[in-house]
Amino acid sequence: MALPSHISSSAANPSSARTPVYALVGNPNCGKSTLFNALTGLKQKVGNYPGVTVEKKVGTAYSQHGQPITVIDLPGAYSLAARSPDEAVTRDVLLGRRADTAQPDRILCIIDATNLERNLYLVHQILDLGRPVLLVVNMMDLAAAAGTTVDVARLEQELGIPVIACEAVNGRGLIELKLAMSRADLPLARHAWAIPAAIAPAVTELQASLIAHDRKAPLVARAEALLLLTDQDSVRVAGSTPLHARTGEILRTWQQRWEGEGTDWAGTLVNSRYDAIGRIAAEVLLQTGETGPTASDQIDAVVTHPVWGWLVLGAVMTLLFLSIFTLAEYPMNVIDAQIAHLADGVKSAMPPGDLRDLLTSGAIAGVGGVIIFLPQILILFFFIGLLESTGYMARAAFIMDRLMARVGLNGKSFIPLLSSYACAIPGIMATRTIEDQKDRLVTILVAPLMSCSARLPVYLLMMAALVPGDRVPLLTKVGIMILMYALGTVGAFGFAWLFKRTLLKGAPPLMIMELPPYRLPRVKDVALHMLERGWLFLRRAGTIILGISIVLWFLSAYPKAPDGTTDQQQLAQSFAGRAGHLLEPAIRPLGFDWQIGIGLITSFAAREVFVSTMAVVFNAEAKDDDTTPLRQAMLAAQWPDGRALFTPLVCFTLMIFYVFAMQCISTIAVVRRETNGWKWPLFQTAYMTGTAWILSFIVYQGGTALGF
Amino acid sequence: MSPAAQTLAALALVAVAATWLVRRALAKKKHPGCGGDCGCPAPKFPSALRRR
Repeated sequence: MALPSHISSSAANPSSARTPVYALVGNPNCGKSTLFNALTGLKQKVGNYPGVTVEKKVGTAYSQHGQPITVIDLPGAYSLAARSPDEAVTRDVLLGRRADTAQPDRILCIIDATNLERNLYLVHQILDLGRPVLLVVNMMDLAAAAGTTVDVARLEQELGIPVIACEAVNGRGLIELKLAMSRADLPLARHAWAIPAAIAPAVTELQASLIAHDRKAPLVARAEALLLLTDQDSVRVAGSTPLHARTGEILRTWQQRWEGEGTDWAGTLVNSRYDAIGRIAAEVLLQTGETGPTASDQIDAVVTHPVWGWLVLGAVMTLLFLSIFTLAEYPMNVIDAQIAHLADGVKSAMPPGDLRDLLTSGAIAGVGGVIIFLPQILILFFFIGLLESTGYMARAAFIMDRLMARVGLNGKSFIPLLSSYACAIPGIMATRTIEDQKDRLVTILVAPLMSCSARLPVYLLMMAALVPGDRVPLLTKVGIMILMYALGTVGAFGFAWLFKRTLLKGAPPLMIMELPPYRLPRVKDVALHMLERGWLFLRRAGTIILGISIVLWFLSAYPKAPDGTTDQQQLAQSFAGRAGHLLEPAIRPLGFDWQIGIGLITSFAAREVFVSTMAVVFNAEAKDDDTTPLRQAMLAAQWPDGRALFTPLVCFTLMIFYVFAMQCISTIAVVRRETNGWKWPLFQTAYMTGTAWILSFIVYQGGTALGF
Repeated sequence: MSPAAQTLAALALVAVAATWLVRRALAKKKHPGCGGDCGCPAPKFPSALRRR
């Protein structure tokens, strides 16, 4: 590939003595993470929707000569004038404002060929920084399919930097890119941009102050001066160095002057930049075919339709849960039989005693009770991966936005809420894409109400007890599962509505959401995502759940009752039994006894621990002639007066409780970190647990009154 | 293995598990978060987000 030989800057280029550092930047959803993974061999999460990357990630790529190159994957940004905390991370790293991150030597800028003009805005700002830039034009195949092509050679000529055409998804253009990244000298941009005359003096004055007081390099100072003039509500993150007081004073003086004159300085700058970009785009964009509605547009006419869109969403959810119930049945039976076989093996190999009890009733029953749900977890994440990879998730966001806007939720809240179906923690971290702090806080407060994957084992266990055997049609089970997920979603929307009108008042901002083109799912990415989640599930089962099961066995086996007492009496007078009895007065109105109370206490560590706790509490030792021993043990459990403990109403009430209860210590810790204090996580725990209790009370007492 | 030896071994296992759980809980106080259990991206910036 012929690269232009423009002026190069040895000062800006990395020294040969150390590893060069590239910052990878681009608009959201232009393929940054895919390119990052292709370059570094890492497996960062990728998705066909904006906002997947909310923090910087660092990896090592290797040049064609085997030299290491550090690559920093930065969150997507439409502009360096940051409007949200994740965009501020990108801006501050590029400007060298971060005290904890050195300014990158070079910038690897990736743009989406199907949306060239909008993507070039960020490139245009980056070129102002005066750093060596490599430009990657990604998704050339999609642009061609849409009837346009990008004249790469002409773009290279216009900007004066190396431009590489690429299809990151299938690896095309990667060799050329690595060759360019390996170059010892990269040309600096020849790009020149005339700052509007009305603004130019302010830029010069701010630049001089930034050089003198903030010790910025001349070109970086100029770029930062331009940003200060468009970044009216500067979002800063901790770690970025504050501006010198004199620079701030100059900025305020100019702003006051322009306000007095009625000059829209920010608008003038932005329009001027877009004019320059428009001229470049006109030169490099070539029409190669008919431009009409694309296949994506035609699919969207149905999928985002106000009526059909909801039907499609409902059909997708039904298909998901049908798969969970049907496809998982055989592998679950296999796992169950293996667990039973293992427990029997231990029993036959060891004489009776505490160690044997610990292994069978504690470790194997506890861990086995949870890992039996692995196939269903894998199916759930396979479907989520498919929906993300194809681009359908963004359409689901579009449909939901109509509803979310009515309750005052920010449209950007959808992706964090959607992520929370897998786990609330990445969902809460994804709220960093939300510009408005009140909207962000509302989203953080309601995100854990979305039914996470840790609730799935609890729901499934309760479903097994609630609707035993094959007497109930499969669609009823699917309906109950959809009801649980819908309840969590409606609860989240309801509380968001309440918070936006009381604690965190504010007008809902307009949502500007990009609908990415549909793509065929990358089976490798989907499979990797699914396996990663499966591995994490197994790791939890093999670490924290195993640890808790062992400790719980001790708490339920000690202190020892006198010889001759029944298992039930032993459990009742054990440490765990006493704790359960202490809690019982508070949960008895919900139909729960002290044994369920033990599960509620332990599952505060992680929701799925409830299942392992039930296995330990009910001493559900696996038997090879019964594939569902825990369910049968639970169905046999009784109150002291002989009434069944796990009636369908109690099972349903427990599911309702877990929909709303904040039973996750890790989520509380993350909320504390994201909100900088204990006030909001404590409030969140109180309102969620309070709601769970009240709704469970209404369901149980109402159901009892109605004769269920 | 005699019942007494089994009791000793079981209690030792319980002590190891309890110690590990306590240490894990205390370690999280230094670096609050999921500890990598949930699959979320590990943050590189230790400081919390806040406005200037």
